[in-house]
Amino acid sequence: MNVEDINICILRIEGTNNEQEMYLAFKRLGAKPELVHLKQLTGEVAEAGRRDLFDYQCLMIPGGFSSGDYVRAGAILAARMKSAMKDDLTKFAEAGYPIGGICNGFQVLVELGLLPAFDEIMTDCPEACLTTNDSARFECRPTLLRHENKGNCVFTGRIPEKDILLMPSAHAEGKIIFPPQERGRHLQRLIDNDQVVFRYVSPEGDYAGYPWNPNGSVYNIAGICNPEGNVFGMMPHPERVFFGHQHPDWTRTNKENGDGRAIFVSVLEYIRGKF
Amino acid sequence: MEIDVTISLKKGVADPEGANTKKALNLLGFDDVVDVKSMKTFRIEMDIEDEKKARAEVEEMCKKLLANPVIQNYTIEIR
Amino acid sequence: MLYTRRPLPFELYDVNLNDANGRQLKEISAELGLALSLSEMKRIQEYFTKKNRNPTDIELQSLGQAWSEHCCYKSSKSILKQFIFGIDAPQNLLLGEDAGVVEFDDEHVYVVALESHNHPSAIEPYGGAATGVGGIVRDVVCMGAQPIALADSLFFGPLDLPHQKLPKGIKHPLYLFSGVVAGIRDYGNRIGIPTTTGMVAFDDGYLGNCLVNVGCVGIAKKKHIIRSRVKRPGDVFVLAGGRTGRDGVHGVTFASMELTETSEEVSRGAVQLGDPITKEPLIHACLEANERGLLNGMKDLGGGGLSCVIGEMALAGGCGANIQLDEVPLKEGGMAPWEIWISESQERMMLAVDPKNLEEVLKIFDDWDILATAIGIVVPEKTLRLFYQDEKIFEMDLEFLIDGPTYCKSHRIKKVERVGQEEKLFKEPQDYDHVLLNLLSSPCIASKEWVIRQYDHEVRASTVLKPMQGIIGLQTHGDAVVIKPLEASYRGLALSADVNPQYTKIDPYWGSASAIDEVCRNLTAVGAIPHSFADCLNFGNPDKPERLGELYEAARGLGFVAKALGIPFVSGNVSLYNEGPTGTIAPTPTVLGVGIVPDIRQCITTDLKGNGNSIYLIGKTHRELGGSAYSKLMQAAAMVVPRVDPCVLKKRMNALLSAIHNGLVLSCHDVSEGGIAVCLAEMMMGGDIGANVDISEIANLRSDYKLFSESNTRWVVEVKRGMADEFEKTFEDLPLFEIGEVGGNKLLIADDRELIDLSVDDMRSVWKKPIYDYMG
Repeated sequence: MNVEDINICILRIEGTNNEQEMYLAFKRLGAKPELVHLKQLTGEVAEAGRRDLFDYQCLMIPGGFSSGDYVRAGAILAARMKSAMKDDLTKFAEAGYPIGGICNGFQVLVELGLLPAFDEIMTDCPEACLTTNDSARFECRPTLLRHENKGNCVFTGRIPEKDILLMPSAHAEGKIIFPPQERGRHLQRLIDNDQVVFRYVSPEGDYAGYPWNPNGSVYNIAGICNPEGNVFGMMPHPERVFFGHQHPDWTRTNKENGDGRAIFVSVLEYIRGKF
Repeated sequence: MEIDVTISLKKGVADPEGANTKKALNLLGFDDVVDVKSMKTFRIEMDIEDEKKARAEVEEMCKKLLANPVIQNYTIEIR
Repeated sequence: MLYTRRPLPFELYDVNLNDANGRQLKEISAELGLALSLSEMKRIQEYFTKKNRNPTDIELQSLGQAWSEHCCYKSSKSILKQFIFGIDAPQNLLLGEDAGVVEFDDEHVYVVALESHNHPSAIEPYGGAATGVGGIVRDVVCMGAQPIALADSLFFGPLDLPHQKLPKGIKHPLYLFSGVVAGIRDYGNRIGIPTTTGMVAFDDGYLGNCLVNVGCVGIAKKKHIIRSRVKRPGDVFVLAGGRTGRDGVHGVTFASMELTETSEEVSRGAVQLGDPITKEPLIHACLEANERGLLNGMKDLGGGGLSCVIGEMALAGGCGANIQLDEVPLKEGGMAPWEIWISESQERMMLAVDPKNLEEVLKIFDDWDILATAIGIVVPEKTLRLFYQDEKIFEMDLEFLIDGPTYCKSHRIKKVERVGQEEKLFKEPQDYDHVLLNLLSSPCIASKEWVIRQYDHEVRASTVLKPMQGIIGLQTHGDAVVIKPLEASYRGLALSADVNPQYTKIDPYWGSASAIDEVCRNLTAVGAIPHSFADCLNFGNPDKPERLGELYEAARGLGFVAKALGIPFVSGNVSLYNEGPTGTIAPTPTVLGVGIVPDIRQCITTDLKGNGNSIYLIGKTHRELGGSAYSKLMQAAAMVVPRVDPCVLKKRMNALLSAIHNGLVLSCHDVSEGGIAVCLAEMMMGGDIGANVDISEIANLRSDYKLFSESNTRWVVEVKRGMADEFEKTFEDLPLFEIGEVGGNKLLIADDRELIDLSVDDMRSVWKKPIYDYMG
């Protein structure tokens, strides 16, 4: 399909607050993004406002503090989605449509059981958790990510393996962890399934500790996808570095394009080719 | 009926909030503080008489929203 | 009997004012917590005697709110009128509302607001600071603008205060600092508005009275700007947002008193609790309703609650109002009508809606799951009436209620020593390296990264110059941040907030003038043209003539420079009574400056860029050590605070801007606290590169004065190799000194002899750590 026919559903509820920049990222590339309130998908609004998930070819969950991140980051939005649209979500993901979550959106996907989703498309219980940063602080800082996916993830098809990209982080709960007794096994499965997408590195390319790994994430993980590669979540913000002048050091480097742009280009290319 | 649900971190899960609170307390001059663990309590008021039924429902709440089994335990206490 | 309860199912008292004598009048004011003076009470007595009846408790409470310092500026208005208001400038579109509205481009305006939230933050730092952010955001939204950036200036007592020296009833600065930052962080981050700039300063004077000044900038299409007033009789008042509770009763009267040892117990109820997750959708809904043309007026509920907002909106539209108080959605049962009327519960907005649009407006709010309720109607006569369960409980002429008293209280101006004998104060230091390292690690100069990185300063993805600048991982402080508010335009807004309380403490006049100079320097340093100011004037008790004298001098200093530059104050706030058991604060006129960047791609940061480029100093260095970081370090009572010549400032800014816009400048940093030495060190840390500097030509002074004097209107500039001639030409006869070259990994400074020889890494390690060490 043509890029101008691709409809992107950008989900919002109270507290999601990065939707505008995500909307613009898709808009700039010629696609048709729409900001859609959860209530519009679950039918809790008047007829004219209702939307069907299958009107879209891609579902994006933006960053922010959905429902204030009360209880746990992303938990309330995930619980509401699961209770109202579990079947739709499962079918949407099974059909190969991309689902992406950035920052709080990543937390939502993990809470939903759509990531890492080792054995089924959506697990009943979460298999991982994005928990409080080791520093116990909100960390808003530039982070460097090495792309380590070998071609599975549909959101990074245009990014060469081993490339290092700058994308800023801004979160208080970004440390991915697994159940203590499953830690080694889960990690191995992520690697074996080509589910690891981005890892935090230092400017020298090392898997360094704080502050380059801003949260203490296991294996320096910054972003993962499901085994099929169409559900993807990451903590740092590609939508904040679409242009060169959004980079924190642009007055030194004078790049024209930002490093985050490739994420949006990749997923649109995938949709164009597949549907 | 009022029910307290307390969410705590599983053993072995790092607790930066607790650790940093300990550091802050030490900084404030409370030198005797040796450890701090963070927990969270939800006090839920339910319009229900049957204790058993209430407990079962709260169990469901914990599974659906209040706790993430990867890192958290929960206890339920009827007040 | 002073109070008679009416035989009603709810609590309402008639107050027997008309028979009260002076002592009883005072008693009533104190008992009801009105904070009104005897003469004010007498004025009220006179009014009701003429009406031939006694007031109800709710009427008196309403007057207490409307006539508080916080709401009507009764002590400061005459001074503000003389110096601050009405600076003639074409860019200013709208004055006298909650926020200033200023032209951005042909189609758009930007909106600025700045306010203090000092007293609540001193009692409950987390909630106090958070609701401060909430309030300022509402001020911007209620003009119809989308908030795009927050700016916070914070002032605390010394972080290293030993716990045993903490006075009774005072909270430790560590606790206040961490609570305030957490409050701003959790609120700002959650509503998705970047906290981009501000300042943090420490001084003994803030021990008992920390200051929290929050600013917000928004952007709107000109056609969407909406007034804080009703349009015509028949308009419906719609209250939107959070429910009304007992939190925040008496916030404004509390802000108009000195803090005491027991303030905490007495006043905790006056601190409101914020709910950012009601606020975030409330912003969406208000802006959507406004952009669809469904609103006639909008105003936020801040100090004084419903009592102030309804009266002011109605009177501004030349009308009155009938309000059905039982329609107000409540958080808790059993609230007396007066509590509902003056509660300052957060996250509420008042809309004036044409009846034909009412249904549509309510639907928008319902879609966002936000409460919105019609609570009254606009009437033609300028009278405000309240009804509760069919009983009329309030009827007053709005002009009497709203146009509170103003005073010209007496002020005394402290004599300032204006001739310095600094040469004799102390001997020149032997070890300059040691002095510079000490300056870099002093809390006021040391890295504020601990604060900056807890705020999401780039949500909305439009912060194109960020607060930390340079090579990632090694970043240094920037002078100003730059926001690119519009998708389709490269035009930008630069923001910078400043004041140096060490100067104003010695000399409120020149200290305040210096604040304007510094803000202008910061804006110019990134390539922005200074365009408007907002001021937040924090002072002590105005009933003391010397405190009011400080306010007078500060306002005079601000006005003098701003007027000469032709840049208006478009928004402001006065916070008085900032004193308590530990004494008064330094006079603190915080200035938030907004600049226009014609094209953000030309912006300049502070980090040095590369080997072999020339380093210039713009401006003359004088023997001005009063209030300087250096004199504090040397424990010397230097008295000469830096002077400002607005004509000179204007000329130098114009020359620098033209050099920047012609692409000659690679980096630029203003010279402020710690003088040239600290300025150079900061530029190097961000670029991770050294410099070889010689200061022998810049002035005829002792070396330490050259290095550490804080004379105004100076910048250090890195100029592209091969562009030096063209750069120098831009400055014609203005004072300009080539002082060195970028290169190596050390700061080398000589003045006929070698003074400083420090590696960039050594400087960074002492500069970066101090605040982290205190705060963990």
